[in-house]
Amino acid sequence: MANDAIITLDQIDVQFKEKTRAVHAVDHVDLTVERGDIYGIVGYSGAGKSTLVRVINLLQRPTSGTVTVLGEDMLALDARQLRAKRQRIGMIFQHFNLMNSRTIAENVAFPLKGHKSKAEIQAKVAELLELVGLADRAGAYPAELSGGQKQRVGIARALASDPEILISDEATSALDPKTTSAILDLLKSLNQRLGLTIVLITHEMEAVKQICNKVAVMDEGRVIERGSLLDIFAKPVQPLTKDFIDTTIQLEAALDSVRQQPAVQQLQAPDALVRLTYVGASTDQPLVATLYKDYNVTANILFGDIQILQDTPFGNLIVVLSGRAEDLAQTFKYLADHDVTVQRLDVKEEA
Amino acid sequence: MSLLEKFFPNVVPIWSGDNGVTQAIWQTLYMTLGTVVVAGILGILLGILLVLTDEGGLLANRPFYFILDKVVNVLRAIPFIILLAVMNPLTRLIVGTGIGPTAALVPLIVGTAPFFARQVQNALLTVDPGVIEAAEAMGLSPLAIVMRVYLREGLSELVRVGVLTIISVVGLTAMAGAVGAGGLGNLAIALGYQRYQNDVVWVALIFILVIVFIVQFIGDIIARKLHH
Repeated sequence: MANDAIITLDQIDVQFKEKTRAVHAVDHVDLTVERGDIYGIVGYSGAGKSTLVRVINLLQRPTSGTVTVLGEDMLALDARQLRAKRQRIGMIFQHFNLMNSRTIAENVAFPLKGHKSKAEIQAKVAELLELVGLADRAGAYPAELSGGQKQRVGIARALASDPEILISDEATSALDPKTTSAILDLLKSLNQRLGLTIVLITHEMEAVKQICNKVAVMDEGRVIERGSLLDIFAKPVQPLTKDFIDTTIQLEAALDSVRQQPAVQQLQAPDALVRLTYVGASTDQPLVATLYKDYNVTANILFGDIQILQDTPFGNLIVVLSGRAEDLAQTFKYLADHDVTVQRLDVKEEA
Repeated sequence: MSLLEKFFPNVVPIWSGDNGVTQAIWQTLYMTLGTVVVAGILGILLGILLVLTDEGGLLANRPFYFILDKVVNVLRAIPFIILLAVMNPLTRLIVGTGIGPTAALVPLIVGTAPFFARQVQNALLTVDPGVIEAAEAMGLSPLAIVMRVYLREGLSELVRVGVLTIISVVGLTAMAGAVGAGGLGNLAIALGYQRYQNDVVWVALIFILVIVFIVQFIGDIIARKLHH
């Protein structure tokens, strides 16, 4: 079942008419999500990502384009067929959107009423609350729960109709970092245990990094860059993508302090301050040792950050490379040949 | 009895019998209840339609909303005392007479339903749009969303505006009473005020206040039960 498209958005365009101007929220976007993906769509607010994911279950009808979900053209469905289809697409929200007048168990049972018998619903609700770790809060009301618990209820409710797809609309953006991480872990385990395909939109690259296998970056209604998580982290092309990645390693702050260090302030040509970025296999090689042994170049590591993305190391080092000019040239070639991205950094802060 | 006769000399003789105090109380209750039931149903239906057909609503329909919205506004703008007069021919057509509590029901309903419809609309608009969106995403039909989300999540607010409307209806029945509908309003004006019998006016007022307090009291209990 691997590698078949479960969601295909083709040339999706969404325009809103406001009083004085037309807003082009989504601008001819193509997107393919495959079964089993956790597909992250990242962008700043207003980039059009919320509008784009709402096209998947037609909460937002596109101005033009085609939407194929689970093998069917969504725009060709009548109202009844669309409602049936929506039951196979769960959705969770930034502000949870639970019903305050109903208990936790009633909220989770809500989508099942009328579709299943009372006993079946009871069993299903118990199973789902167990799954999200809230079995003991069944009789509580949403107002009595913390944000993280509310989102767990939201997830249980979204899973009640056994959907194949889960859309997560900034589901962790209202939560603190620790709770965010726990909710993301839960989503990841649902992806692995139930084979749930997840489309996750967020403005936090950190969330994408933790669980997504693919990522698309949106800006002004367009997808400006996309690919597997590792490819995007290893070789980002667009400046915005780079910005998002840098937020996960706090590079800006690191650079500021690196520039204060004597080793940098007293730097003399041909020595160079560089950022080395590498993914996966590159790390296995004893990089720094090789540079010294084979090229007589010393690497003075001033900042290092190594993260594990999908079980693969993703490293960022800021180093001063010192040696003779020709050795340094050789070194850069060696690094490029071994998939290490080298970026020369200014010793002084850019004005 | 002597104490009552001392403070309410004009009330005691007209306590029971035709056009008496007890009859006036029943007439007020009859007009209030009749209006609340019919205008209540109409108001809820119209209020729901306003919410559904408004821009961004589940069944957004600009021309329909425009017309309904304007009709509600115009009907609400008519002072009730003038509505009573304007409605008179229609009332005669429907009820057969322009006088009495049943005849008063027609203008009372026409005057109350739009007011209540607007209150219902505002009450339902307090329901978190995110919850409505979630229900849509789950595949609920608009009817199911009305029944299971709007009316349920908006219930405490509906109770609040319901109480407000009932109290306003009690007030309107008194006004209708002044033009021949009977009830406590008629008692206060025709039998009390116009005959310089202030004790009759006071008794009518006391019973109206009692009705209002009872409605408010029951409403508060229900509101408290619904609060989570």
